[in-house]
Amino acid sequence: MMGKEKRLPLIIDSSDQLPSATILKRFPLPRNFGVAPDSRIEEGQVWKAPAGASRTKAFTIYRYDPDSGDNPTLDIFEVDLDDCGPMVLGALIWIKNKVDPTLTFRRSCREGVCGSCAMNIDGTNWLACTREIAETDEAGRIYPLSNMRIVKDLVPDLTHVFAQYAAMEPWLHSKTPAPENERLQSPEERSELDGYYECILCFCCTSGCPSHWWNGDRFLGPAALLQAYRWLADTRDEATGQRLDDLEDPFRLYRCHTILNCTRTCPKGGTPARRSPRSRK
Amino acid sequence: MSSPGARGRPLSPNIQIYRPQLTSVLSIANRITGVILSAFAVLMVVWLIAAASGPQPFSTVQRSIGSLFGQILMLGFTFSFFMHLCGGIRHLIWDTGHGFELRSIYASGWAVVVASILLTALTWGVSIWMGVG
Repeated sequence: MMGKEKRLPLIIDSSDQLPSATILKRFPLPRNFGVAPDSRIEEGQVWKAPAGASRTKAFTIYRYDPDSGDNPTLDIFEVDLDDCGPMVLGALIWIKNKVDPTLTFRRSCREGVCGSCAMNIDGTNWLACTREIAETDEAGRIYPLSNMRIVKDLVPDLTHVFAQYAAMEPWLHSKTPAPENERLQSPEERSELDGYYECILCFCCTSGCPSHWWNGDRFLGPAALLQAYRWLADTRDEATGQRLDDLEDPFRLYRCHTILNCTRTCPKGGTPARRSPRSRK
Repeated sequence: MSSPGARGRPLSPNIQIYRPQLTSVLSIANRITGVILSAFAVLMVVWLIAAASGPQPFSTVQRSIGSLFGQILMLGFTFSFFMHLCGGIRHLIWDTGHGFELRSIYASGWAVVVASILLTALTWGVSIWMGVG
């Protein structure tokens, strides 16, 4: 139907495209709708840009200090664009170096390979190191990954999602004796893993999945299910039956309702949801 | 690090801040239209009971359907029907394992929106043209 058109502005070709036309930047809900008292976000402070900065941009950043005993707040930081890198991560590092050294976030590779700096930027999950400052909204909103227990500021506690990942036993299971050389695959067999092997475990997808928000304790979420499929699709793996049995559960797999926020947000262009119907076979 | 006991770690916001996208909006729309259709099924039973009870109650029900409010409701039901139908077909295609590239997801998503509107308009156009309702 509409798939034939060349490049409709409303059609998103790859996950790094910013939404071209969104009526709402967030669902029309009160900011603290349904939020537990401890998690309610309060107003924070404004950190002015240093005197003499000519090109500045404000960022609204989620803050939480476990030692203060206070609720999370939204601080506004004015960043000197002439003094920091072009990416959102650059702005965060600039704030930490020049304004508030207590601002806490994870980062490592600064080139979209490690998945450490995953956070919610302007309402969608992405890596701070591969999102340009120029692409962010006015007073760009930076929150930690959605629906996570927060250790401090932008650092989420990933224990639970990593446990779900580990439960997929993400390694090669084999019963046959090891061959003398490697277990080989044809290029076609190897290509079955495209869209799955790229996962860097940033958990943008699981954190952006509404089904995982409501049932995250029992539903595995996109990151873990992608991993499950990655091993089901691997011709060298010999535990397919057992892997499928482990997924057969009303919650673990079947709470995937193909909302597909996962594919929209994957910074590596992966297709987390695709495995879902296939695994059901 | 936090000292345990004083307070639990806060949960970062989810639905309150996550950007509405075609993916999530169509998903919730499919649910909402499903609920609306269930309500419609109940009303359809009311209509059938009225028809079976005789001309007097039937004409009362017919008149309320014909009122402006009733017509707006019917328009909503028609749209819900087609939206849910098209969304269901989209899900069936996914169940075959196809259409999971981001481009396809968006193409089929907008196709559902456009098709629902067109089919609703077509249904109403035809029924008005035929002088029904």
